[in-house]
Amino acid sequence: MLGIIARFLRILNSETEPGQISLGFCFALIVGLTPLWSLHNVVVLLLVLILRVNVSAFLLGFVFFSGLAYLLDPIFHSIGLALLTNVSLEVVWTSLYNSTLWRLERFNNSIVMGSLVFSIVACLPLYVVSTILIRRYRAHVLAWVQRSRMMHLLKASKLYRAYQSVSGVGGSA
Amino acid sequence: MMKWVRWGGFLAFLAVMGTVTALWWVFVDGVVRRTIETEGTGIVGARVELEHADLSVFPAGLALTGLRITDPDRPMTNAVEVARVTFAVDPLNLLRRKVIVDEMTVEGLRFGTARTRSGAVASRSSGGGDGTLGDGLSEVASAFSLPALEAPDVKTILAEENLETLQLIETLKADVQQQMQQWTQRIKDLPGKQTFDTYRGRIEKLKGATRGGLGGILGGVGEIRSIQTEIERDLADIKNTHKEFGTTLASLRARLKEAVDAPQADVRRLREKYSLSPQGLANLSGPLLGQHIGAWARQAVAWHERLKPVLQRVKEAGDGGTGPEVIKPRRGRGADVRFKETHPVPDFLVRRAKVSLELDIGDLAGEIQNITPDQDVLGKPLIFKFSGEKLEGLRSVVLKGSLNHVQPANPRDRVDLRAQGYRITAVPISTQPAWPVALKRGVADLRVGAGLRGNRLTANFTCNIKSMNITAGKHNDSNPLTMALSSAVSGLSSLSIRADLRGTPDDYAIKVRSDLDRILKRAAGNLVRDLTSRFEKRLAAAVSRKVKGPLKELQSGFAGLNGINGDLAHRLAQGNDLLGSALKQGVSPGGLPGGLKLPF
Repeated sequence: MLGIIARFLRILNSETEPGQISLGFCFALIVGLTPLWSLHNVVVLLLVLILRVNVSAFLLGFVFFSGLAYLLDPIFHSIGLALLTNVSLEVVWTSLYNSTLWRLERFNNSIVMGSLVFSIVACLPLYVVSTILIRRYRAHVLAWVQRSRMMHLLKASKLYRAYQSVSGVGGSA
Repeated sequence: MMKWVRWGGFLAFLAVMGTVTALWWVFVDGVVRRTIETEGTGIVGARVELEHADLSVFPAGLALTGLRITDPDRPMTNAVEVARVTFAVDPLNLLRRKVIVDEMTVEGLRFGTARTRSGAVASRSSGGGDGTLGDGLSEVASAFSLPALEAPDVKTILAEENLETLQLIETLKADVQQQMQQWTQRIKDLPGKQTFDTYRGRIEKLKGATRGGLGGILGGVGEIRSIQTEIERDLADIKNTHKEFGTTLASLRARLKEAVDAPQADVRRLREKYSLSPQGLANLSGPLLGQHIGAWARQAVAWHERLKPVLQRVKEAGDGGTGPEVIKPRRGRGADVRFKETHPVPDFLVRRAKVSLELDIGDLAGEIQNITPDQDVLGKPLIFKFSGEKLEGLRSVVLKGSLNHVQPANPRDRVDLRAQGYRITAVPISTQPAWPVALKRGVADLRVGAGLRGNRLTANFTCNIKSMNITAGKHNDSNPLTMALSSAVSGLSSLSIRADLRGTPDDYAIKVRSDLDRILKRAAGNLVRDLTSRFEKRLAAAVSRKVKGPLKELQSGFAGLNGINGDLAHRLAQGNDLLGSALKQGVSPGGLPGGLKLPF
């Protein structure tokens, strides 16, 4: 747990672009919330690796969102089923259903559809909000945190040693 | 733009994918094996074991070795054991998540093999018993019990049975008593001798008053009219009450007659229950052979119930049957929605499975076509045919049929079995201690045809047994009836049996006919008639003795009611007399006391 918190602080405090960290969270949102062995996750993995995305943020986000997915599965099922059984979308789904690639994607499963739509829709707000928060953190909180008495105490603690131990590992753009 | 791309990441991606593929390659067989075991165990409700799975990519196919499926009702027995299953899968359809197998080979298929350790799983609930595949004999035995073949003891019967006559007598007695109380209370309030005496006194008094001149005469006329009206009103009350009582009494008397006749009905009922009638003797095939046929039918129905998920998938139409279909999900895995396909193909299909079936009597070879839970998509039914010749104790056997669920709302299943030269040895037909019967040996030709259309089950069973040897009865048997029956069946060398089954899978009736009916009726019909007649006489005498006392008591209870009836009749007569005599003495309508007539 301490290691995860330390890694999170390391990401926030690094020189990495806030956009790269946010994008890492966004990709993690998709991979974490949707069933892991889905075709779209291969594409997301390719994007994570070839784009200058913060991999540490991606991995950390993946762990967090995977846990969250278990709680949200019933909601995903409802969203997916509502979309897949929507009469006005039937023509679209029927044409996708007759395509081998989309069948391989298993879009017609209620949880795959529900979680994919939910995570894609949630990506943009997550990107914007997390970018703003990281910027504000660095501008207003980071300097104050560094100077605070509490931070001095923290630097002497086990947590800080854990933070230092991960220092220099991953996370760079 | 280039600031956002790192081309080295592509190499990392290839490395990750390569690693995943390599791991898949190394572990896939184990994963497939464990998946089959886990999923199979979940579906069957008992342990499913697989020794080895070999997945090949080029060509795409799977070979399974040593598949054992535990019978959930008998954990120390495998319901099915297969030595080896091999099949090739259409790879293009596999990408579309459709498992299409053109040809499957099933080698060494065996049923009911013993297990070295229990295959029970903890999650399966115990008990229940519905749809189990036990021999089913015990369940149907009660429906085909033999009638009593020994002369029953009348005393024992009457000690155990509740006579309906006694119940009728008791109820009627209580009702008579209640009516007695009610009517005694009611007639107390009716006008009686005292009231009529009062009227008489008033009339006498008026007679004296007529001597008081014209004014007295006219006043007396009014008073007489008033008394007359009062008497008539009282008489009407008595008359109505008498009429009402007459109805009650008639109803109670009718019930008394029923109670008097009831012993005959009791005798008839007990005779039918405890005595073998000549008609019962003519239908002895049912009790003797029906339980075996019933057990087979029950097993067949239970197997069919288990095969249902293989034949038909549970689907929910999105909008009244025309829209997309929602395939019911397994918990936590969502629901798969199916849409109209340009070229519809089932999700799972084995076009042809060649099966070699290893039975105790020898090997059967067979073929099953169109194994799919989506027959409505394929448009073809599942058909099967198994056959074998020169088997151990069986010259030839052919089992064929079709399970047609192409129209899921109107399924039509049919199975036909034809076995020839089946050597029967030591089959118990009746295990009743009074008359044990066993088929020691015989050679049977068997034909069974069964069909299930929707929920309507029909089956025909024909069996001709030749070179037959039957043993019947016990040593030192002194019962003339069972001796006659034993003698009749022991001499049989051939037998023809026919059974018809009609009903639904949950509730069906089996009608069995055979030569036995005619033979037994001829051999022991007169004897049974005589025994039944004697039994009936003894039973009638004993029932009569038992109900005599209570019946007498009941009849004496009616004396009180008759007394009430007499009392009411007497009051009525008294009232009428009074009215008559009063009028005679001068209170005639339109007249005056003393016989004077009015001019108007």
